[in-house]
Amino acid sequence: MNSKITLIIQREFNQRVRKRSFIISTILMPILMVGIMAVPVLIAMYGSSPSSTREIVVIDSSGVVAPALQSGQGIAFTPTTMPNDSARTAPQYSGAYGFLVVGPQVVENPSELTLYTRESSTLAIESNIREQARQAIYQKRVEQADVPGLDSILQRLQVRTTLTTYLLNAQADGGEAAKESSSAASMVVSYAMGFIIYMFIFIYGAAIMQGVIEEKSNRIVEVIVSSVKPFQLMMGKIVGMALVALTQFAIWVVLIGGAMLAIQHFALGSADAMPAELASIVKSLDGMYLLKMTGAFLIFFTGGYLLYASMFAAVGSAVENAQDTQQLQLPITIPLILAIVVMMNVMRDPTSTVAFWFSIIPFTSPIIMIARMPYGVPAWEVALSAVLLYATFLLIVSLAAKIYRTGIFMYGKKPTLAEMLRWIRYKG
Amino acid sequence: MSDILCARNIVKQYAGHRALDDVSLSVPEGSVYGLLGPNGAGKTTLIRIINRITAPDSGTLEFDGRPMRADDIYRIGYLPEERGLYKKMKVGEQALYLARLKGLSRADARAQLEKWFCKFGIMGWWDRKIDELSKGMAQKVQFIVTVIHRPRLLIFDEPFSGFDPINAQLLRDEILNLRNEGATVIFSTHNMASVEEICDHITLINKSRNILTGPVDEIRRSWGTGTYRVDFTGDPTVLAAALQGLCTTEEAAPEAAADAGRLQSLLLKPERDGIPVRELVGRINETVEIHGFRESVPSMNDIFIKAVEASNDSPEK
Repeated sequence: MNSKITLIIQREFNQRVRKRSFIISTILMPILMVGIMAVPVLIAMYGSSPSSTREIVVIDSSGVVAPALQSGQGIAFTPTTMPNDSARTAPQYSGAYGFLVVGPQVVENPSELTLYTRESSTLAIESNIREQARQAIYQKRVEQADVPGLDSILQRLQVRTTLTTYLLNAQADGGEAAKESSSAASMVVSYAMGFIIYMFIFIYGAAIMQGVIEEKSNRIVEVIVSSVKPFQLMMGKIVGMALVALTQFAIWVVLIGGAMLAIQHFALGSADAMPAELASIVKSLDGMYLLKMTGAFLIFFTGGYLLYASMFAAVGSAVENAQDTQQLQLPITIPLILAIVVMMNVMRDPTSTVAFWFSIIPFTSPIIMIARMPYGVPAWEVALSAVLLYATFLLIVSLAAKIYRTGIFMYGKKPTLAEMLRWIRYKG
Repeated sequence: MSDILCARNIVKQYAGHRALDDVSLSVPEGSVYGLLGPNGAGKTTLIRIINRITAPDSGTLEFDGRPMRADDIYRIGYLPEERGLYKKMKVGEQALYLARLKGLSRADARAQLEKWFCKFGIMGWWDRKIDELSKGMAQKVQFIVTVIHRPRLLIFDEPFSGFDPINAQLLRDEILNLRNEGATVIFSTHNMASVEEICDHITLINKSRNILTGPVDEIRRSWGTGTYRVDFTGDPTVLAAALQGLCTTEEAAPEAAADAGRLQSLLLKPERDGIPVRELVGRINETVEIHGFRESVPSMNDIFIKAVEASNDSPEK
């Protein structure tokens, strides 16, 4: 009998992974993810150095700004003594990008800075000029104040704070062993894992439902259940699909992980080129932590998926086409959406009562518990939540199987939820 | 001849509706058994119970003289009325899958399938998807996967629907072939002509109850009225006069519309037992031109209608 379920699992798996949509989404998703992360990095690297150098003619009647302007980053400054009007028409400046006019009282009145350009200027050019002019005027003002050592005094007055956070760990025997933590990192990991579970449950649960509807409206279901029990068919589909989901996830991890490493290696080179947040995330990811997270993810993803997939299968068995599922799906989608809403709250305060209960209650626990994990959750809570989740799955799947084996032979009228629940009492 | 399948007192209740009420039947091994009845009578429910798709509320099933077991489904081949295959799956792959679900090994399934595909001349479809095939083509594939595991008991629910006459003939021959090789066939159908043609036993179910069961020839004879039918050209009144004292006569409608202008028909009911047919024919032959003379045995169609109407009229128990 078990070999039959294996056959069903095999068919489900083979048919799904060979589908064009599976192959495309499996390949496109990592490209999209990596793209979202890589584009800002690439823009930061190459976007700021334009291919051609732009000449800006500087007409400085104060004599303060022009000498201090440094060419570079695609801008070349050319000081001139010509007055504004004649410089603009002068043949030697016909190719100039623009004209910077500095007023005579610029030190006292820093708004006497005007840029005329032949085409609209860019933010980068403007901020470059503004910053260089500010430096020059600042230096001039320091000199004019005529206080010895003022510059260094001012520098000492600048305050920059950094806050390093540590998670106090009972097992750790000192400050050094306490792992450096980052709430930003926890939040990113928490959000990502919670959301991935939500997405996978939804996408693959709906795919199960679709598959059940297809078998029913194809009428092949009657042929198959004359060889295997309806429960075996349902479980075979659910398990086959779970393997598809895990395969897709594994491919993504490998592809995204590989691409990230490659980007780090080639584009970022050294750690200080990495944004500070990213650096701290990378730092807080040690092997043990990753293992714990992956384990928890697999346990809660699988449990949550199995729980919801059996409900989706029951709904699919009751209808003949996908349009009829809207209403019957509600009891399934409401807890899922509730979980995502609560997750936002949980990320703000992972130890709140709300967070605790929603991570224990089976229908929301796959998402909420996984979202709490990066912040640290007592082991007993994780264990309790997991046991409850799997126990609920066993209960729900036995009910779902009863609905399923009646539903797959019900044609014609679309049943109500109450009718579906009555099917549970029918003798198989 | 022993019974391959025996159903005793099967009851199946659905919400507010009794689908089967104390139905019993015995299917002799090697027979072609017709399971008849109007729509909604409970035939499909009974078939599903035999296939162990659903369980009866009460009653027992025996297979081969012993209580039916779960693995007996591998000795049954079932072709449901509503045919269905995976549309997006390749024909060969799908047939292999269904054959293996019926307990065949991969190699065995493949060998059997190739044999059948060659027999039906459809080897070229192996790598095509079902939704590229016509309905009749898909039906052939479905028939093959029904019989692929050499079941001892075959259950066909309306097997000829959707087949053109040529393919229906092919299918009929294959079914009889399987019977000759030792399989037992249960047929569920509305097509009474095909029942007369191939069934040797029937059970008629109406309103969830078994109202008529037995060998086809016995049933037809017991429903017979002992009348004869004569088709002729000539004067019916002269013929009626010639048969005076032997038979009462009654005009009958011609059997085919095309014969209406050409032939006359009379039903002859002998007035007493023991009148030799030879004498009747002799008398008729002297008066009119005979085109046909035969014992008027009711068709299964007539029996079906009469039995169902009679059971509908009788008060509910």
